[in-house]
Amino acid sequence: MPDYVPTNAASSGVTLDKKLLKQIAARSDRPGLVYLARWAAALIATGALVWLTRGTLWLWPAMFAYGTVLTVPAYAFSHETAHGTAFRSRWLNEAVLWLTSLIYMEEPLHRRYTHTNHHTFTWHVGKDSQMPFDTPMGFGGWLAEVTGFGLLRFHMAVMVRLAFGRYSDVMRDVTPAGEFPRMTRNARVFLLIYAAIAALISAGQLWPLWFLVLPRMLGAPVMLLFTLTQHVELQENSPSILDSTRSFRTSLLGRFLYMNMNNHVEHHLYPQVPFHALPTLAKAIEAQVPEPDPGFWRTNAEVFGVVLRRSLGLSTRAPSIRQAPHMITEGGRVERIAQRTM
Amino acid sequence: MTNWVRACAADEIDEEDLIRWDHEGHVYAIYNTEKGFFATDGICTHEHQSLDEGLVIGCVIECPLHGGRFDIPSGKALSAPVCVDLATYPVRIENGEVFVATG
Repeated sequence: MPDYVPTNAASSGVTLDKKLLKQIAARSDRPGLVYLARWAAALIATGALVWLTRGTLWLWPAMFAYGTVLTVPAYAFSHETAHGTAFRSRWLNEAVLWLTSLIYMEEPLHRRYTHTNHHTFTWHVGKDSQMPFDTPMGFGGWLAEVTGFGLLRFHMAVMVRLAFGRYSDVMRDVTPAGEFPRMTRNARVFLLIYAAIAALISAGQLWPLWFLVLPRMLGAPVMLLFTLTQHVELQENSPSILDSTRSFRTSLLGRFLYMNMNNHVEHHLYPQVPFHALPTLAKAIEAQVPEPDPGFWRTNAEVFGVVLRRSLGLSTRAPSIRQAPHMITEGGRVERIAQRTM
Repeated sequence: MTNWVRACAADEIDEEDLIRWDHEGHVYAIYNTEKGFFATDGICTHEHQSLDEGLVIGCVIECPLHGGRFDIPSGKALSAPVCVDLATYPVRIENGEVFVATG
């Protein structure tokens, strides 16, 4: 018997009829393939803008639009395939996991097993290996998180360690031992591909700069504004996902880019449910979970206001988003609860 | 001597699904798959999670806790984090009833 209680629906007191859950969680290749086609179409459309605006200042907004379409779905697809829920066919899951993790810049199996750990110990200090910022968050933490440089540095350090076969205690703790050779091989291949891209640019080929490097950098903040909302300002060390995790409303475009992962409470309660079925799941359990927070922009604006005021020693009560009780103070010194683990 | 024990009615298990069956202190999983009925141990070999809330995908059972997968007919562990195979048990159907050879 395990000596822990995993954080999920059971630990959160949420129930769903078993037959209905299995209907909702049923796997199919079709929704993932349709998503893949739509993503490719969006990349071609925004990529055409990049091509057409070369040599003008419009290149930068075009690269931002293309970079957002490249980076946010790459993150979301990498996450979904790490769960193995995007497709019914295992080989499709694994192929898309590999490709999207290459864009997201994290070794695919490191992504899978640290994320499995994140689900087992969601937002538990010292146990969750995917806490990307210190809590409570201040302005410096927000800046490090949203620019993407903190995360990129972490993932590159992991990649180099894996490539050299140096496995940290956390890696050994969360990963089945038999997977390390594959992780090392993946990390070496990823580093070779990144080196080849750098070599092309050094040799005067600028297309990787316009279509890969700069768009990936410009799209990262949008991706990170999505992921930031998942647990920020919520309760550490709670067995209940309802305390530790946030869902928020967003537009059709937001739901597409993020693969419905704005239903984040629902995803953590039942991680076996595929992305395309999350709205159905949300409807089925809406009476048992908190109301989703307001839209993407408003939620992020409120988070930004809170972290800025916290760093200035002012009141940290947000106008409408959910906050754990200890996150709301009238100012003064803030005691750190969690140290970032990624 | 094989000990055949009646576990349930065959129509109690939906197609591409499983049920948990507790017998003499042991937990079994009984499956109705596209290749017929099968029985395995009912607890995942990874973290002691009951498999009955897992998904049957073709002839594969996916553990609901960490997504580890086993081949149902052979019990073979297919993908990490599961590394240890599930024990399997012979099954026969008689007059719409499922019998499992428990020993």
